[in-house]
Amino acid sequence: MTVLDADPARPQLPFGRPNLLDLAPLYDVLRREAPITAVTTPAGDPAWLVTRFEEVRSLLADKRLGRSHPDPENASRINTSAVLEGPSGDIETEEREHTRMRRLLTPAFSAKRMRTLEGRVQQLIDGYVDALVAEHDASPDGVADLHATLAFPLPVAVICTLLGVPESDGDYFSSLSERMSSFTGGDAQAARREFHAYMGTLAEAKRTAPGEDVITDLVRAYDEDPDFSHDELVRICTGLLFAGHETTVNRIGLGTLMLSGAPDQWRALVEDPEGRVNALVEEMMRLGAPGDLGLLRYAHTDVEVGEETIRTGDAVMFSINAANRDPEAFADAEDFVPDRQEKAHVGFGHGGHFCIGASLARTELRATFATLARRLPGLRLAVALDDIEVRETVTGGVRSLPVTWTEQ
Amino acid sequence: MSAVSAGRPLRVEADADVCVGSGQCVMTAPEVFDQDDDASVVVLEEHPTADQAADVDAAAVGCPVQAIVLHEEP
Repeated sequence: MTVLDADPARPQLPFGRPNLLDLAPLYDVLRREAPITAVTTPAGDPAWLVTRFEEVRSLLADKRLGRSHPDPENASRINTSAVLEGPSGDIETEEREHTRMRRLLTPAFSAKRMRTLEGRVQQLIDGYVDALVAEHDASPDGVADLHATLAFPLPVAVICTLLGVPESDGDYFSSLSERMSSFTGGDAQAARREFHAYMGTLAEAKRTAPGEDVITDLVRAYDEDPDFSHDELVRICTGLLFAGHETTVNRIGLGTLMLSGAPDQWRALVEDPEGRVNALVEEMMRLGAPGDLGLLRYAHTDVEVGEETIRTGDAVMFSINAANRDPEAFADAEDFVPDRQEKAHVGFGHGGHFCIGASLARTELRATFATLARRLPGLRLAVALDDIEVRETVTGGVRSLPVTWTEQ
Repeated sequence: MSAVSAGRPLRVEADADVCVGSGQCVMTAPEVFDQDDDASVVVLEEHPTADQAADVDAAAVGCPVQAIVLHEEP
């Protein structure tokens, strides 16, 4: 079905990057040369790679591309993890299922609903910063781990509240998430099956003990709609729990690293947390580049882009990282400039699949960085950037984030 | 991409049929946009002030499905 042939001469993803914050220089070349480039996926299959901002936006909004594949058995595979590794859903029902899912979930994740959550999020952050201070005070060298004590537990606690998942299961499902999104270890598929079984059991329990939460709402919708399959229910629940904590954890870490490299921006935030934080968070969403793979679609019909034709069934990968640093779209694209004029970025995607948790992520990120600036104005990294260990997963991010501060 | 001319009156239009409820506009310009119970876009201020214009423009450009259209009034 895939017309694009394998060719060993093509560049193969992931492209080696110099460090956690910068991208492979090859992206700059690809972006300049053509709107789409034939590449080889980490799994060794052919795919198109889109690197320019304009084409990433227009093709992500293009309904001729989807997450399903006309002949899934023969679709290009992306990698050996169990996250965005290949097609999902059925080409006949994809659009209907996606519309149903958005209709069901969007109200629960709306900006309006998130406002009612702000107090709870602030309370959680205050508690984690208390713990960070205690860790700092108890440590002989004054070093505390911002990843383990704040960046990780916050999104986990918030998504657990929203979905109705016991927070005490956090270590369990985050280890499942790690295995699912790992490029190494080889048990990603087994981890996904285990995650599905966990969510299936949890969803079943909501039937006898319903809560005021998203999983209870989904179970109710499933019971009322014979067309809503159990597989889909479990897939949606797993996706929400996975995305609800994996992504924001990493953004808090990357945001902290960016600010540590921009002391003027940090000082401005300390002086005016409420006034500065929104612009900083948007720039973190633009410039933060976790992982190296981006988003995935398959062509449902032939699509012409510039001088190339994406054939029906071809895999199309979108480098969100490269698009967000396209010099055609952003002045000083590689620099951290929160007050830039160009406000639109694709850090949450674009089009009909736009991140459903964007308002949730913004609420958590804004409150986190405003609170850090208010309470720990002397905050800085305790190690060099190159000494921070990076996770070998689809979603990237750090393993720990040693920080320290001096009283001011 | 729409642009706002400084100082010129602006009219905001949002297409609820196109809206996917991303909430981008509400997070960007909360004085001008809201969401209803289905998370669909609601325009609170059809004629935003000059102070709000930059945020409104960012909301229009940032809408993932281009549901927001800005009209410059004569």
